[in-house]
Amino acid sequence: MVDTLGNGRFRVDGRLAYAARGRRSTWVFIDGRTYVIEPESRDASDRLHATDDQMALSAPMPATVVAINVTPGQEVASGDLLVTLEAMKMELPINAPRAGRVKALACREGELVQPGVPLVEIDP
Amino acid sequence: MERQPVSRILVANRGEIAVRVIRACRELGIPSVAVYSDADAHAPHVFLADGAIRIGPASPGESYLSIPAILEAARKTGADAIHPGYGFLSENAEFASACEQAGITFIGPPAPVIERLGSKIAARALAQQAGVPVVPGETPTDQSSDAIAATARRVGFPLLLKPSAGGGGIGMKTIRDERGLAAGIEHARREAIAAFGDGTLYVERLIERPRHVEIQILADSHDTVLHLFERECSIQRRHQKIVEETPSPVLTPVLRSRMGEAAVALARAAGYRNAGTVEFLLEGAGDRASFYFLEVNTRLQVEHPVTERVTGVDLVHAQIAIARGEPLQWRQDSLIQRGHAIEVRVYAEDPANNDLPQAGPLLLYREPSMPGIRIDSGTYEGGEVSVHYDPLIAKLIADGETRDIARRRAIEALRSYPILGIRTNISFLIEVLEHPRFVSGDFDTRFLEAEAKTLRASAPVPPEALEVAAALRAPTTDATGKDPWEALRGFRG
Repeated sequence: MVDTLGNGRFRVDGRLAYAARGRRSTWVFIDGRTYVIEPESRDASDRLHATDDQMALSAPMPATVVAINVTPGQEVASGDLLVTLEAMKMELPINAPRAGRVKALACREGELVQPGVPLVEIDP
Repeated sequence: MERQPVSRILVANRGEIAVRVIRACRELGIPSVAVYSDADAHAPHVFLADGAIRIGPASPGESYLSIPAILEAARKTGADAIHPGYGFLSENAEFASACEQAGITFIGPPAPVIERLGSKIAARALAQQAGVPVVPGETPTDQSSDAIAATARRVGFPLLLKPSAGGGGIGMKTIRDERGLAAGIEHARREAIAAFGDGTLYVERLIERPRHVEIQILADSHDTVLHLFERECSIQRRHQKIVEETPSPVLTPVLRSRMGEAAVALARAAGYRNAGTVEFLLEGAGDRASFYFLEVNTRLQVEHPVTERVTGVDLVHAQIAIARGEPLQWRQDSLIQRGHAIEVRVYAEDPANNDLPQAGPLLLYREPSMPGIRIDSGTYEGGEVSVHYDPLIAKLIADGETRDIARRRAIEALRSYPILGIRTNISFLIEVLEHPRFVSGDFDTRFLEAEAKTLRASAPVPPEALEVAAALRAPTTDATGKDPWEALRGFRG
């Protein structure tokens, strides 16, 4: 049973809760924990189906490319540093998710990159 | 020393620390001037100050880190003093010196003192001279990768590579053995250049399982140097502090005096003035524990409020009084620690995803108000955490007669601190405060790393959260005519 108290406040099971609606998700706060609830949608399932490779080779957030440590054609081992990003004063390393050969680079040093877009292509 | 004019203070910072300093100016009846970048035009510090002036675009290099932009802002607004806050230009000797040349009082130590203590080499030499113990290490004069590697082998593994110009743990790199050395040197040098514009590296032996304990000092221009006891800052991640408290659970009165006296001796040797912090690594416990000088932070610390809560001293008021040339109004034996205070740093980051910093809107933001709680923040509901600056949202400081009361108050306040629209570390902070090793005071600087598994548990979305989400949503349908909210799917919380 949920009582709507107004101004983003709710009462559920005798506890105070807060909720707000974002562009896609609904955010709920109860007792020090925040829950992000997303509607089932094509977009979300697309993201779930993105390969682990693509996720691992993409910026996790908007970031600036500070260094590219590989060149096309180079063999890399799993865990090798491929690209170094910087965001919010932190260095974010992008490491090879597996061994392979660098097929192409999709970023330049100094470039501001967006999340979800792979920065390096690795064969096979 | 003659009295310095401080009749209008420009606060060369943003966020919570700008708000905190501007409040102190208001309390003292001193007009204040805020500066802001384009990203901060609607930030709270801008509206709180008596005047505000734009200093440039969002990028820190063109605004908060630009000495010409800040000095021009001071000239235009008639400010005769500048408070630098922490970070940005606060430990920049060139800036302090430029202020002096422009006839502006820099609220901090004299430029030569900042320069000397800002250099790891000079600070360490000074500590040794003052009889303060130091950790083995050196800065290679030859900064080539080969020479740094040779120094590393001489100092011994495990070791730390640190930016010589740095502070606050930014850009430090741990090297455990020979294998990680070459890549580590390049990485550390790059971070040093990115953060401080200077790639000079310092190589230092890593003391395993130390505690990080620092001493607050105040020094006036009348030869009085006092310490305001310790802050325990061992709860850190990648050398960034998360939880700080005072008193330290392990300092005995004897050890406290030894460390306080060492800090004062160092400050005297440096000709220190204004507020500062002497950081130590502490090995062992009890009266005869070993401590090693780490560095001096020549500015106000992020965690300064815990000291204020237990000593009753307002450190920003003290900084302003010292800058004006007034004598300190305390003697060492008139200062006491009363009760206990704990600060937690509320960050926009995702503890379930490698503590990745988060940028985004604060759809709902409500600060708790309850006994024993102080919140220093610089944000507001409807505002946002910008990708351009560090992800600190607020500092929550709890105090109480005992450590356990302060701890319980902090937990209760965090449970009542809804921040929606962006992921935060609030649930993580609660887990830290409830952890048996935190409760018993049995921790060191490796605590968060060592306990990562016991702290990171993310909770599944409980049914009541789904009920609340359902109660919130208005009955809407998407273009397909199908309600996208029909199937609510919970993500980790």
